[in-house]
Amino acid sequence: MFEKRAEAFVLIAPAALFSLAVFVAPVLALLSEGFHFEGHWSLQPLSAFFASSLNQAVFWRTLKIAALVTAAAAGLGYLAAQAIVDIKGGGKGRMVAMVVLPLMVSPVARTYAWIVILGRTGIVNRALIFVGLTDEPLRILFSETAIFIGLLQLLLPLMILSLIGALENLPRDAVAAARVLGANDLQIFVKIILPLTREGFAVGGTLVFAGSMTAYITPAVLGGAKVLMLETLLYQRVSIANDLVSAGVIASLLIVMSFAANLVMRRIAKARTA
Amino acid sequence: MSDYLRTERLTLGYGDTVAVRDLDMSVAKGEFLALLGPSGCGKTTTMRAVAGLLAPRGGKIWLDGVDITRLAANRRQIGLVFQSYALFPHLSVFENVAFGLRLKGLGGAALDRKVAEGLTTVGLESFAGRKIPELSGGQQQRVALARSMVMQPKLLMLDEPLSNLDARLRLEMRAQLQRVQKETGVTMIFVTHDQGEALAMADRIVVMRAGQIEQVGTPEQIYNAPASPFVADFVGFETILEVEGGRLKTAGGPVSLAGLDASVAALAWRPDGVRLGEGPFSGVVRGVSFAGATRQYLLETRLGPIKVEASAALMPRALGEIVAFDLPLETAAKVGTG
Amino acid sequence: MRVALGLVLLFLIGPFAVIVAASLSAGETLAFPPQGLSLRWVEKVFEVESFRASFVLSLTLAIGATSAALALGVPAAYALARYKVPFAEILRLIVASPLLVPGIVVGLALLRYLVVPLRFPIVLALFLAHTALILPYALRVVSASLANLRPEIEEAAVLLGASRAGAFFRVVAPNIRDGVLAAMVLGFVTSFNQVPVSLFLSGPGVETLPIDMLGYLEITYDPSVAALSTLLAALSLAIVLIAERFLGLTRYV
Repeated sequence: MFEKRAEAFVLIAPAALFSLAVFVAPVLALLSEGFHFEGHWSLQPLSAFFASSLNQAVFWRTLKIAALVTAAAAGLGYLAAQAIVDIKGGGKGRMVAMVVLPLMVSPVARTYAWIVILGRTGIVNRALIFVGLTDEPLRILFSETAIFIGLLQLLLPLMILSLIGALENLPRDAVAAARVLGANDLQIFVKIILPLTREGFAVGGTLVFAGSMTAYITPAVLGGAKVLMLETLLYQRVSIANDLVSAGVIASLLIVMSFAANLVMRRIAKARTA
Repeated sequence: MSDYLRTERLTLGYGDTVAVRDLDMSVAKGEFLALLGPSGCGKTTTMRAVAGLLAPRGGKIWLDGVDITRLAANRRQIGLVFQSYALFPHLSVFENVAFGLRLKGLGGAALDRKVAEGLTTVGLESFAGRKIPELSGGQQQRVALARSMVMQPKLLMLDEPLSNLDARLRLEMRAQLQRVQKETGVTMIFVTHDQGEALAMADRIVVMRAGQIEQVGTPEQIYNAPASPFVADFVGFETILEVEGGRLKTAGGPVSLAGLDASVAALAWRPDGVRLGEGPFSGVVRGVSFAGATRQYLLETRLGPIKVEASAALMPRALGEIVAFDLPLETAAKVGTG
Repeated sequence: MRVALGLVLLFLIGPFAVIVAASLSAGETLAFPPQGLSLRWVEKVFEVESFRASFVLSLTLAIGATSAALALGVPAAYALARYKVPFAEILRLIVASPLLVPGIVVGLALLRYLVVPLRFPIVLALFLAHTALILPYALRVVSASLANLRPEIEEAAVLLGASRAGAFFRVVAPNIRDGVLAAMVLGFVTSFNQVPVSLFLSGPGVETLPIDMLGYLEITYDPSVAALSTLLAALSLAIVLIAERFLGLTRYV
């Protein structure tokens, strides 16, 4: 009954054409701006971009923070996900809801909460002074640390959700079997849990890494104009200098890095199925 | 009329593969026909094409004198009970059975009556208000059957109707299907890979293999006179030996058998047709299994491996024992005669 | 392990407690702990003109874009699930690509190649951008629903006399209803909270609520933004909780 290709075409054409026209074409056009110099294809804009030490710093900072956030999310994610999966009964649903909640709330709200918390008169500083660890309020805001914290809070739920799915699909007896054979917790984690939850980890990892690289509000608000990441740099270049060439270069870099992260993560997921 | 349903040089395929080639088949009105064959032989494909779910590559299909080859599936008045039953999960039993009737514009008391009749025919009178997930496999199948039957189709087809049921339910459903078919007189085709079912239920059997018909006949004909070694093997003959130059072709060389009819393509014996204990042949017992009233032996012989079934009352043979056996002509089926 | 979970949850949810508390502050600035309690900032939210306007815009946009995304996505998901579509994987990738591209790039690209040269009104560009962003979710969620529904059900309906369209509406639609509703909720929330795409696609008088809030914060540092955030959070929460209660939303995420 589902043989007429023409029917399928009619059903899928609107969505496909829409995506191509409204999204793919304009974005590709923008990307190509980063590879044109004086009327023809060239890598000149790319090398010019990296010639600037500011740009280089921004690039490496973006990568660094993304990697750190992913690592932290992985660590905390496993702990939290495992704790949730171990919960017996109805509490689990509520826990998952609490984890998912932040994803549903306006990013503006989220980021401003951090301003309040990390600011000079915010809780953290007040606590630190109170406890006596420092005499003067620390400048936590508008730093890489602030961005790191903000991004981690933003993206951790994604990792936790992915890992919950993976941990729940673990063959139930694998851990018990390992324990019977004498493995301790660390060994169990490294040899059993990690390999078997590869795919969930890969999905979560990609989401977190790509999310960190392409986040805008968090770096914009918590980093300010001094601590730029690639996206905030892009915005600045366009809104201040109307520099579309840089925009094209940066956009291309971001997309390539997202794809690369995706591929690496898929490779990790598929490598050596146990 | 013996050509109530007729296919003429029907050719069916998917993508690059041809599943059925030049199939000529006919079914009489009121007949209970089985399409029997192994997986991939094209029986389900044929069924789907007759129903209108698959457009033929070539050939024609005639139903009740009308060429339905190009007729839309929803106008053929053919019912189909899928192997998975395909009940509508969001509707109650009543609404499932009423589905087709509502589409015809039936409503109110007339509808209620017809649905009640349909459910009664399959023995589910009190199930009208139930939800599909609450039903067992057998009950779901009966709902699917009622759903198709209330439409009073010209032809009703069932895809592997009994394969999802456990042994006891299977026997019950066999009886029920036969009863329903005889009572309503509807022309029924069922597709199966189980020769026992086909032999037990059908008026006529069409044996298919690799998209072609191997044999058409009544269960007796198929059972006693299989047309080819394939059919013989399929209907339970374990020992099939081709006849060449007046002698039996075996793994250990040609063997003569007194009184052999040289015009036959092969001779076939069922395990219970092989005589154990005496005879011109001998073999070593390599396997024994107890089946209640009988014992099954697997013998390693010069003729090849031979399966023998003997009454459990007889003295059991042990593994490794050398036994004599015979392949009597009287219990052999002649394969490939006219 | 439990301790770790507790800390993680504190980390994730704590900041919201801060916001909620700050919005109830009687003081003048966005600070925590708040100095005294008062509802004055919550009241102020409703008085600020631009908040009202941008709220309406965001709401309209969310509803419109979600509807459009479903109108495009449901047939596409159906085609991909039931037919052998050539280049199916590539098509899926094309439709899903907005998930892989930074929002700001999307906004900029649309501005430069659709709005400026083709003179699209900004609102139209916003609508198109949001639809493109929600489309991948619609496709994925509806595809998941369809995957659990055997094609034989439609065949059965057709054999009982239904037309193809009739079979779809009577038999397929009721069974993917929950998936579609889940996609609606996801779409709505995604559109409503969307910032990067809307950054370039804003103009005088045309601002989505989050952009408006950002702008407001650059000028005044008072708790009304906190109050607004709290209200919005409550709104998002309510939608998601209702969806969870009636649909089991977490099945589809």
